[in-house]
Amino acid sequence: MSELLPQNQIDSFKAKAAAISHPHELIVDLLRAIQSHHGWVPDDGVLLTAETLGVLPIEVEELATFYDKIFRREVGKRVIHICDSICCWSTGAEMITDHLKKSIGISLGETTADGQFTLLPTCCLGACGDAPAMMIGLTTHGLLTTEKIDEILQQERAAIAAEG
Amino acid sequence: MPKLTIDNLEVTVPEGTNVLEAARELDIVIPHFCYHEALGAVGSCRLCAMMFVDGPVTGLQMACMVEAQDGMVVSSTDPDAIELREHVIEWAMTNHPHDCPVCDEGGECQLQEMTVAGGHGVRRYNGKKCTFTNQDLGPFVQQEMNRCITCYRCVRTYRDYCGGTDYGVFGSRNRIQYGRFQEGTLESPFSGNIIDACPTGVLTSKPFRFKTRLWDLQEAPSICPHCSLGCATIPGGRYREVQRVKAGINRETHGFFICDRGRFGYDHVNHQERPRQARVDGQPVAVAAALTAARERVAGMAREHGPNSIAFLGSSRASFEGSVLLRDWAAATGSQQLVYEAHQGRDHAARTLAARLGEHGRSLEDLRQSDLIVLFGADPLAEGPMLALAIRQAVRNGGKVIVIDPRPVELPCAASHLPLAMERLTDVLTALAQKDLHAFDNHEHAFLENLSEQFDSAQRPVLIGGADLLGGKGVDALCSTAAQLSSAECAVGVMTMLAGPNSYGGALLAGDGPDFDTILDAIQEGTIRALVCLESDPFREAMDPSRAQAALGHLELLVSFDATPGLAAQRADIFLPTRANAEMAGSYMNNEGRLQAFQAVIDPGLPISETGAGNHPPREFFQTTPGSAPEADWWLLAELLERDTTLAALRKTIEQSDECFVGLSAIDAESTGLRFSAQGSLPPAAEQDLLQTGVTDALKLLAITGPVGSHWLAHLSSPLAATQPKPYVVLHPEQAEKLGLSAGDRARLTTHFGHCHVVIRTDEKMVNGLILAPQLWDTALEGMVPGSMLDCQLEKEGKA
Repeated sequence: MSELLPQNQIDSFKAKAAAISHPHELIVDLLRAIQSHHGWVPDDGVLLTAETLGVLPIEVEELATFYDKIFRREVGKRVIHICDSICCWSTGAEMITDHLKKSIGISLGETTADGQFTLLPTCCLGACGDAPAMMIGLTTHGLLTTEKIDEILQQERAAIAAEG
Repeated sequence: MPKLTIDNLEVTVPEGTNVLEAARELDIVIPHFCYHEALGAVGSCRLCAMMFVDGPVTGLQMACMVEAQDGMVVSSTDPDAIELREHVIEWAMTNHPHDCPVCDEGGECQLQEMTVAGGHGVRRYNGKKCTFTNQDLGPFVQQEMNRCITCYRCVRTYRDYCGGTDYGVFGSRNRIQYGRFQEGTLESPFSGNIIDACPTGVLTSKPFRFKTRLWDLQEAPSICPHCSLGCATIPGGRYREVQRVKAGINRETHGFFICDRGRFGYDHVNHQERPRQARVDGQPVAVAAALTAARERVAGMAREHGPNSIAFLGSSRASFEGSVLLRDWAAATGSQQLVYEAHQGRDHAARTLAARLGEHGRSLEDLRQSDLIVLFGADPLAEGPMLALAIRQAVRNGGKVIVIDPRPVELPCAASHLPLAMERLTDVLTALAQKDLHAFDNHEHAFLENLSEQFDSAQRPVLIGGADLLGGKGVDALCSTAAQLSSAECAVGVMTMLAGPNSYGGALLAGDGPDFDTILDAIQEGTIRALVCLESDPFREAMDPSRAQAALGHLELLVSFDATPGLAAQRADIFLPTRANAEMAGSYMNNEGRLQAFQAVIDPGLPISETGAGNHPPREFFQTTPGSAPEADWWLLAELLERDTTLAALRKTIEQSDECFVGLSAIDAESTGLRFSAQGSLPPAAEQDLLQTGVTDALKLLAITGPVGSHWLAHLSSPLAATQPKPYVVLHPEQAEKLGLSAGDRARLTTHFGHCHVVIRTDEKMVNGLILAPQLWDTALEGMVPGSMLDCQLEKEGKA
């Protein structure tokens, strides 16, 4: 996990950046690549992105901090984004969030002591039709109930255990 | 030109004007944050809402985003517009703390003004406010993020306008925060502008912090004394010291912003060692007695040894009026030994420019509109930073920039660079004028051919030179090339960076008199026995300080007028303390021949911080203020010449005696100044070759003006002390490798001044085979007078 990104991927981003007129377009892609390899994007990841694409560190940091799906701090193995917006509020998001907090024993913005889960509020998941909703990894779960949450958490715990 | 109606008043404005600007023409001020004349409109603050009642656009619109068009009928007082503005300012204020009583912005807070103007009086929001961790942004800018209303002006100023690369905006929504990627000193030499740009107390001046409430500050329009560009400034003073400087506005010159040297270089006025006492033969005397002594001894010397036994040396720091009176004193004495610059190269450059500039003169505003700028031996960030910002705006408008220089000239914008030895700059100019490039090798040939082609298609090209490297011959070649390349359709402009704020004025007055090196020879021979120095320090400013010091030792009489603790002031037989620029009214003529007036901000006196040493000042009572003897240079000279000592009378006299300066009396300190058509005289031809090297195979060192540390007044200003570098030299990496050196190494530099220790820097943009050493006051590199070439040795002393 200590390596930010394998060299062949860095080389491939360099080649792509050289071939296009606006390498800034690749900033988010490269940050996500670092995040999926390393788990999150440390300062060195921002600097690596800037150097690889030939852009300013500040330009990378501006994007990295704008998007709440790019993690600039260490996170757990599973990041739970719980929707914190109006449709979810009106369909019981507060109760769902409380249940989540109790089930994994942390508050919003925290990571469990065993490093399994990080719980973050998010402004919108684009799932208003299925409110209340949350997202774990790239999977969105809608029409949440406390029972459904228990089930999802159990599956995720099992998956983490299987990953070792 | 569209004609529109705003609040029932008709106004006609130029094409492209937005409605907010059109309203301002009618003195209708609509609250706004994001719009700024220099930064443009982005429509992000949503505060300038106006109701478009009739015409091509209707409904509630942001006035800054709508271009004025014929037939528009607009209301700023429409109830819907007023209500929207009220809500917007209330949102902007939700997270803003109630710390106005301890905030340094209090008294000039635009947020406070806009809140009142927007109609938001009572806070309804009772929730928790966002809080942030501040960053330490270095010695100049204090950050207090909790006060931020996220208007983006700082980033637009720092990054877009000034070209800074280390300040940005992070996060989204109510997590938005401004700062650096990692905490540390802001790198841009224009960083202080974000203090002016911030509409509230997020970014304030660190050196000025907690010093004075702004309503207690004395302010007046002034002109920056730090370089030859003549930027408008507004110094502020209290307790007998200048405490801060903010940018004034002059749309013809610098625009709205100033550099950090100008902003934080005010402290020379308050310098502890500044001489404030008149002296004759080492004894403190009253100013009147010192003036009488100066008048009588100079007259006595003229009677005894002839009028030409006295030389008069002005300077680029003295006011224009003082400089005229110095000429009058020389004339009254009958002496022809009058010069306004101790540095021969700078003197010849300034006089050549004043003689030849004429119609080729360009302002910084012209430069911002230029489509091709070519710099010959000019390093803007060192010699006049606001020139670099003007060049950046030209590039943002689609212009091209080309640098031909032995130095690795840094600019806050894209530029192509041809490293070329100093002695070949004139050859390039001549070759371009004659369109004959055969003397240049492949790479240079291709570069110059391309440049020559760009000239053919350019509409508003400008050639920029620097006095340090070009000298008189170079400036002559620059003007000749501009004339040759000009056609009926396209006039080629010229701008040249000179030594100081009144270099051009001094050059006009110097006529074809001798240069200072000739005067030094006469002092050495004993034909000149007395020297009068007006705010100049020939001991350190002459091309060859060791030669100058040896010659000046022969003087029988040295008279010095100065406001700084220089060597001439210390060694003078008769010394008269002058006022600093912020303590007097007067005028300077900038490097395009534009005469600009300034006013007095404070009266001179020992700062209370000094007399009280941090406590209450002593409870002793005097009729006069301690340290208040200094008078304006022109006042002292008028008194000495027994003239009327009011500035108005003095300016009238100048207008009467010199027809070319008619208009001087009418120049307002807040105007754009006045370019006079006065033409100077070329200096005497005998300019020494700038190359003063003996051994041909020795390492060559070129002394240069550095971006920091080379400017006398700035060096005397404590807020800038943190930016002063340790002595260093710059080499091409290949040259460094040849000498077994690498960047960061410590080395011993040997010149005819002796040995000193330097740190090695490398830069591949500079010419190979040369060592660059900046002049750094009060260090071992003090003797590196810019433009001089020395033989040197460089030996490694330690690793990086």
